[in-house]
Amino acid sequence: MPATPVYIICSPRPQVGKTLVARLLSEFLLLKNGRVVSFDINLKEPSLLEYLPNITETADVIDTYGKMQLMDRVIVDDGLAKVIDLGFHAFDEFFKMSEEIGFLKEAARRNVAPIILFVADTDRGSARSHEMLRAQIPPQSLITVDNEYVVRGELLPSMSRGRVLRFTALPTFLKTYIDRLTFSFTGYLRHEKDSSTELHQWIRRNYFMFRELELNLILQQS
Amino acid sequence: MFAPKQEDRPASKVGGVEGADMAKPAVIVVGADKGGVGKTTVSRTLLDYFNANNVQTRAFDTESPRGTLKRFHPEITEIVDMTATADQMKIFDTLNTVTPSVTVIDVRAGLLSPALASLRDIGFLDAAKGGQITFAVFHILGPSIASLDEIAETANFMTGARYFLVKNFINDTQFFQWDQSTYNSYFHRIKDATDLTIPKLNEMAYEQVEVASVPFLRFVANKGIHDEAANYSFVLRGYVRHWLANVWSEFDRIKLTDIVGAAKPVPRSSEK
Repeated sequence: MPATPVYIICSPRPQVGKTLVARLLSEFLLLKNGRVVSFDINLKEPSLLEYLPNITETADVIDTYGKMQLMDRVIVDDGLAKVIDLGFHAFDEFFKMSEEIGFLKEAARRNVAPIILFVADTDRGSARSHEMLRAQIPPQSLITVDNEYVVRGELLPSMSRGRVLRFTALPTFLKTYIDRLTFSFTGYLRHEKDSSTELHQWIRRNYFMFRELELNLILQQS
Repeated sequence: MFAPKQEDRPASKVGGVEGADMAKPAVIVVGADKGGVGKTTVSRTLLDYFNANNVQTRAFDTESPRGTLKRFHPEITEIVDMTATADQMKIFDTLNTVTPSVTVIDVRAGLLSPALASLRDIGFLDAAKGGQITFAVFHILGPSIASLDEIAETANFMTGARYFLVKNFINDTQFFQWDQSTYNSYFHRIKDATDLTIPKLNEMAYEQVEVASVPFLRFVANKGIHDEAANYSFVLRGYVRHWLANVWSEFDRIKLTDIVGAAKPVPRSSEK
């Protein structure tokens, strides 16, 4: 039986596109599997909950109770893919806890597959955090997200050594368009008749990337 | 005795032992004159440590009539009144005759000094000094000057014993390390005392183990009182495992299994 995937989208920096990636991935999994549960651990940033209220729950890692509420659900092998949109303020605490409670080891034991999507930036803090994750997480589970809108083609060499997912930048008017709370990526694919539009192709390209990511996960397990 | 799966055990640097081939009986007294400093918690970690290292152990809980240690380790714990001669006989007259030759005594608050005085009076301390018995005292310190003042009092009894000053971080205390003169006046007063540090356990994790009434090791292994599968929080189990591993690394550091005379150390399967 395939492992239950848990996608953790994270960065120690604000405004790098974590929620955008979490939205895209959540909508992709919903389209593909018919169900997904997303956790929003953002108190200070644009919120996944506001975009996808029907599939998103809020969570926090500030206190032990919050950690239990989140991690005791995430560690269950129930076949239901999970997406965690981890706010920058929770980055350190989450991975400190993860290390302490032996999350990755227990996940492997329970047929749960955590995949950490680290949204890159070019600052030193991001470099340090990425290094910390590389020390903690097996290479096959750590993926760097190269968001062209943020990184502008200057991804740090240390981050490009492992697996990288590249998101091309959209023109500003399209970015404004997809930032609307009522916008749905899957809804756009379904309703936009012209499949040659830039946005149509951008969404399809990203969905294809996620599909490849899933296939890789299955291949790794087999 | 309960034995959790190997992978559920917190990692420990010192190997386990085969059998319980003890050279001489060992008595470990865990105590403090001050209450609420974590004596029973430390006793529980000791019993778990010996269990994981295959060192057969018996325990005495002096919180008569109702013992906390017995609640967590009922199979190997007996409640005794250390001030009663009959119970003193029960503990010390059986040291050479019972199979587990490691005895852990959880001395209730206020009884440490009187208990040590009794041990001196019955010639036990002399026997320890003469090398017939291994005797170790884990003196649990609280974050107050009153607690530290006990060190001098207890020190008078420590000839022939291994004396461990246990800094139990039940809160964010610093044990006056920020004031070197005060710190030194207490912690360097006794020449052969060894410091041990017990880190703080997450409060909710501690409470969950309390509710479960099982040894820490069994909690980590997600087992209930009767060894049945339990459903403890993964997060809390993780915190307990991490904490217990840190505590045990302190026991490893002082070579506790060597002190009690456990023989033939072999690496645990996780270390092979």
